[in-house]
Amino acid sequence: MQIAEPLQLAIDELSKLPSIGKKSALRLALHLLKSDKENVDNLVNAISDLKTKIQFCKNCFNISVDDLCSVCENPKRDRSMICVVEEASDIISIEKTNEYRGLYHVLGGVLSPLSGKSADNLNINELVKRVEKGSIKEIIIATNPDTEGETTSLYIFKLLKPFNLKVTRLARGLPIGGDLEFADDATIGRAVLGRIELL
Amino acid sequence: MFLDKIELINFRLHKHTNLNFSENLNYIVGGNGQGKTTILEGIYYLCTTRNINQASDSDVVMFGENYFEINGVFKDLTQNKLKINFSLEANKKYLYLDNKQFYRASSVIGKFPVVTLTQSDHAITLGSPAERRKFIDSVIAQSSEVYLKTLIDYNKTLRQRSSLLSQIKESGNRSLLTQLDAWTDALVEAGTELVKRRKVFIEKFNEFIRESYFKVMENKEVPHIEYSFLDEDDPDKIGDVYKQAIAEMREQELRRATNLVGPHRDDFIFRINDNELKKFGSQGQHKTFQIALRFGEFFFLKEVLNKTPIFLMDDVFGELDVYRASKISRYLKEIGQAFITITDFSNLDYLHRSEDDYKLIVENGSVKYD
Ligand SMILES: [Zn+2]
Repeated sequence: MQIAEPLQLAIDELSKLPSIGKKSALRLALHLLKSDKENVDNLVNAISDLKTKIQFCKNCFNISVDDLCSVCENPKRDRSMICVVEEASDIISIEKTNEYRGLYHVLGGVLSPLSGKSADNLNINELVKRVEKGSIKEIIIATNPDTEGETTSLYIFKLLKPFNLKVTRLARGLPIGGDLEFADDATIGRAVLGRIELL
Repeated sequence: MFLDKIELINFRLHKHTNLNFSENLNYIVGGNGQGKTTILEGIYYLCTTRNINQASDSDVVMFGENYFEINGVFKDLTQNKLKINFSLEANKKYLYLDNKQFYRASSVIGKFPVVTLTQSDHAITLGSPAERRKFIDSVIAQSSEVYLKTLIDYNKTLRQRSSLLSQIKESGNRSLLTQLDAWTDALVEAGTELVKRRKVFIEKFNEFIRESYFKVMENKEVPHIEYSFLDEDDPDKIGDVYKQAIAEMREQELRRATNLVGPHRDDFIFRINDNELKKFGSQGQHKTFQIALRFGEFFFLKEVLNKTPIFLMDDVFGELDVYRASKISRYLKEIGQAFITITDFSNLDYLHRSEDDYKLIVENGSVKYD
């Protein structure tokens, strides 16, 4: 059967989204087709606002409405501390714990030669520039505890060595806000072995 | 733990085979190509969800059928039902433990430990260092999840690092060297952990193979596995020695764009009375060593996992002289449950057998009890 072109177009676009296959895309497109026009307009506007009204914070690369994100703008945050994360979504997980009061820095990925990611493609130089300004006393590196995350943390550690800061790594192997109960034996084993202080 | 029964459906020659097993020795007798090794293959699937010879799942489906299925019941203090169903059309395996579907092989690994002794084991003593690393890694990984994860990390770091070495070689961009240093640090960290654990393991494992070798040979031959990493024996110095060696090789690594230093290049030297087996061993000594390695693996895993593995022995008796074969069949009595395929009926005469052992006769995919 020939599918009407606008429908086919919608399916093609929807199936480009992560974890959406052709079948789910078809289901979503048919659902939208049946929805009220108002609902569809709201969705379209929300999506287009994402690109027009949202930007990356000039300071830390967090998701932001303004030039500076709500964390960087908040006068109550501790400005001597930076927590380095892979993606902006990691900030949301850490903020949920209500344990951290410092600033952030989003790298936008991790080192991975196999997927063509080198230091130049990440916001690493920008982190060094922030440190050079002098008010930072402590850096917490919270990249994921996998091979690439560990190596990225080692690399940053090397770059920051000359600045004489306190550099720590999140307890190795335990996910952010992780509960021992839900971590497997190997993760706990590594967390116990892991040395937390890098510098 | 032992396997109480198995059901094989559309599994190679087995259209529909139901078998009950002895808690002790199960001799599976039949000519070549009659389907006796297939029974071991099915048992191995249940224990690991994988093929014993790394054959693809689709190869195992009976000709003209579109799926195979294996059901098994393991008994311990409790009882576990395992089901593996492979669909040719979906090219997918569906796994169930006690009627509940699971998705990762790691969910059952270590739950139903299994040790195999087959003719392809000759590669461990006669083959390349990679064969010995594979054997040693598999024994340690079965006993330690931390080792397995470190090994996976290490191998991933090797791939990332060699990709970066190639990029530096091709682009001539020396500014990438600081990043190379970070990958080197990561490699040394994971690699040092592997080396330390290999050392601790080999020391312990030597006791196990000495015991097993003695049980099979009862003479003055003493087997020994020697393992050294960059000639450094002090575990606290391994990291530094490793770092230094890799620094010395840096230019060569950059030129060849490959990882030249680390435990991925290790060898384990097998010795009998201080003589290197690979250089001076007789055929019989090689065979006995291979057997001692597998029995050693069995008793090692039994001790660390606190669980008795299932022992699979495929067509090994045919290669042994009468003295060794009868020794081994006695030794098997200490094991627990074992499955032993035999091609030649006459071999059965000198094997040590008792009343609770089973003898299964396999002919063209069907099985009789004797
Ligand atoms: Zn910000």
